[in-house]
Amino acid sequence: MRKTMSRKRDIAIIGTGLTRFGELFDQSYDDLVREAALQAVADAGIGLDDIQAGWLSTAFPEIGVFKGRSGMDLVEPLNLYGIPVTRVSNFCASGSDAIRNAANALAAGECDVAMVLGVEKLRDRTPQDSIVKMMVELSHPFFQKGFTAAGTFAVYARRIMHKYGVTLEDIANISVKNHYHGTMNEKAHHRIACSLEQVLSSPMVAAPLTVMDSCPTTDGAACLIMVRAADVDKSKHAPVYIDGIGLAISTGWDMPFFDPKHDFCSFQATRDAAAMAYKQAGISKPLDELDLIEVHDCFSIVELITYEDLGLCKAGEAKDMIRGKATCLGGEIPVNVSGGLLSCGHPVGATGVRMVVEVVSHLRGIAGDRQVKGAKRGLTHNIGGPGAIASVIVLNKEQ
Amino acid sequence: MSFIIKYHVALPHFRISDKILHPRTGREVQHAVCYTDEDIITLAYQAAEQVVAPNIDAVLFATATPVFKGRYHASYLADLLGLPDGITALDLGTTNRAGTDALLLADALIASGRHQHILVVASDVRFPSIGKETATPFGHGAVAMLVSKDEGIAQITGAASFSEGLAEEFTYKEAPVEYDARFARVAGFMNNMTKVLAGLAPETIHRLILNSAYAKLLSTTLKKAGYNLEKQVAPDNLVAQCGYLGAAHCLLRLVYAIESPPGVSVLVDYNNGSNVISINVLKQAFPVLDMLNNHRPLTCYQDYLALRKQGKFDGKAYQSIEMFSSEMMQEREKNQFLQLKSFACKNCGTVYYLKSARCNHCKGTEFEAKQMAKTGTVYTLTSEHFFPASFPPTNMIVLDLDGGGRLTLQQTDDLYQDEQTEISIGDRVKLVLRKMMENDRKPNYFWKCVKL
Repeated sequence: MRKTMSRKRDIAIIGTGLTRFGELFDQSYDDLVREAALQAVADAGIGLDDIQAGWLSTAFPEIGVFKGRSGMDLVEPLNLYGIPVTRVSNFCASGSDAIRNAANALAAGECDVAMVLGVEKLRDRTPQDSIVKMMVELSHPFFQKGFTAAGTFAVYARRIMHKYGVTLEDIANISVKNHYHGTMNEKAHHRIACSLEQVLSSPMVAAPLTVMDSCPTTDGAACLIMVRAADVDKSKHAPVYIDGIGLAISTGWDMPFFDPKHDFCSFQATRDAAAMAYKQAGISKPLDELDLIEVHDCFSIVELITYEDLGLCKAGEAKDMIRGKATCLGGEIPVNVSGGLLSCGHPVGATGVRMVVEVVSHLRGIAGDRQVKGAKRGLTHNIGGPGAIASVIVLNKEQ
Repeated sequence: MSFIIKYHVALPHFRISDKILHPRTGREVQHAVCYTDEDIITLAYQAAEQVVAPNIDAVLFATATPVFKGRYHASYLADLLGLPDGITALDLGTTNRAGTDALLLADALIASGRHQHILVVASDVRFPSIGKETATPFGHGAVAMLVSKDEGIAQITGAASFSEGLAEEFTYKEAPVEYDARFARVAGFMNNMTKVLAGLAPETIHRLILNSAYAKLLSTTLKKAGYNLEKQVAPDNLVAQCGYLGAAHCLLRLVYAIESPPGVSVLVDYNNGSNVISINVLKQAFPVLDMLNNHRPLTCYQDYLALRKQGKFDGKAYQSIEMFSSEMMQEREKNQFLQLKSFACKNCGTVYYLKSARCNHCKGTEFEAKQMAKTGTVYTLTSEHFFPASFPPTNMIVLDLDGGGRLTLQQTDDLYQDEQTEISIGDRVKLVLRKMMENDRKPNYFWKCVKL
């Protein structure tokens, strides 16, 4: 039996910052860092000099603006010189992993006030020159050659349709739902509702996934200020507590495509990370014990698979959750009320942090039109690579 | 004395008709043309992989359209085939006679006792000038033969070469030179043929194969020499089916002779001099020329231009793409990349293409080498519309190989996406070696798959 991390860390989030997500042609990488960081310290009611350590999440400097290759790129734009700052890179799960590392350092007593900042500046290049280039020009000469990111998930879609009778409409309806949610998020990249027909008839990216099934290439930054729960000053802060953090790498970059027993119907990393987080948070019935979830819907099929991997339903039943609208705002368990990656976009290093900012706003009761009423406990799910890495974070209004 | 013990022919899947190349003057002549990811190397490999044997001690590679300068095609092919380092590997080129040059040399090397089993490969890919396609009997293809001291399908009973100083059309320091055609034919071809025919006894020959554009000029001479033109002189039926394959063409005609009724065939391969090879067919072989019927026509001239990489490509920024490639990596991992050597868990038997310290499933730590098969079944798939290629989308196929193991590969030969190429879960496919990036900047060969 594999040993998993089961100790709860007793960490609180006391400040959040979030830029607009989109094609931010008027803002540089450093501008995004400053905007998110200054929002977060103001929200926490502290100054920059109170930060004792930092974690910077930028996943792909080489397909962006070559910023984020080290912690220096958090320190320099903020004049945070003289403190330890680490750059975290774990593909699309970098943001969540930065949070995990900050929580560990706080729990270990290395620092008392930590900043986690996720930022990615992709749209100083064309989309072809960024994410597509990474798969075409900068990867292994032979393994997976021919895929873009969309294709690595499309092969899951094809298999799941074959095995479980999932339809194109089921997959497209996830996009319809999330784009509707995105209309209520003033910081989302796309704030346009779409119909089922529009999703199905939009240009094909990697069959069966269309443009509307795919998240856009986006700039953005998100920031958290974290302290130990024991150090929270409730007269000054509106804290949200971390109930559990799990992170697992369970398949690999290439192995899923060369392992004859990989079934392309599930992301084992999500299951492993969720098991860790649930154990720390004491969750046994996630459907009953969670009020909202932010899922890594880089492509609509990933959200559908994740319902099953997070234990919201049994294998093969995710399509019924979509058909029954269980995951819409107002449904049994709202998923991606922010609009998800499909609406917000995916500035890679920022996404995991943005998800936590979103859930924190609901637990604080300040999420506006898309507020999940009475939300007390929420979850974020952030994956990296072809579903190889997953992070699950459970957040609680109460300690 | 040497024998041809195995042979194979590789032709591209696509054909273009003269009627498409020139609707007003074109005839019912088909030309085999490479797909965008094929070249003389992939065709040579495709032919050679069917005849390769572990005891091969020399490789002779013939081509008049080399892709390398400063690198031996024969050595490269030997490496692709997994033949031992350090074996004799020589290139023959210059003219379309190179195919029989190689066969003649193989026979001599075996007769001398220096070598026992020689792989002879002739491969040519020549595109004529734009607008002159119907005036040039071009075609792409490769022929591989395993020539051995051991008895086999056909015996090489004699081989000789007759030099000729005159050439009617050639290149001098990269500039084309054309002499007076009539002078070249009379003073060159006819003069040379007189010497060749003087050494042949018509009554001992069942089949005379004249591989030359001027073969018809010999009719009167042959009649006078006692040949029955209809019965003994074999017409070139192949050129109408696949075009003229350059250095591979005479060997293709030899295959035709081998697959005809047993008897003695004499090949006369003329091109700035001639090679004469006498073959006695001893037994019937599995007919490979049936493959001539398994092809797909190109439906328009634009597709032909795209295949030969002229004009605009559909794939965005296709020509500017420079994919990461590493000579060091390819050398180090060639057993895996090219030979499809994999690892089978000794405990549960799961076959892995990628190496790991422990089995993903039983955590076993001991593995044994396993050769992967080149046929399999589709497990799942997608069509990538944003991967730069000449003919997007690029279909990516996750397939389970017969006998174990999984690969994820591009589909190829799928220019026309219809019921003949459409792949679904459960369909059967086979692996083919092709160029991974089609921009022709670096040799970069790996496996793709085609629907069976």
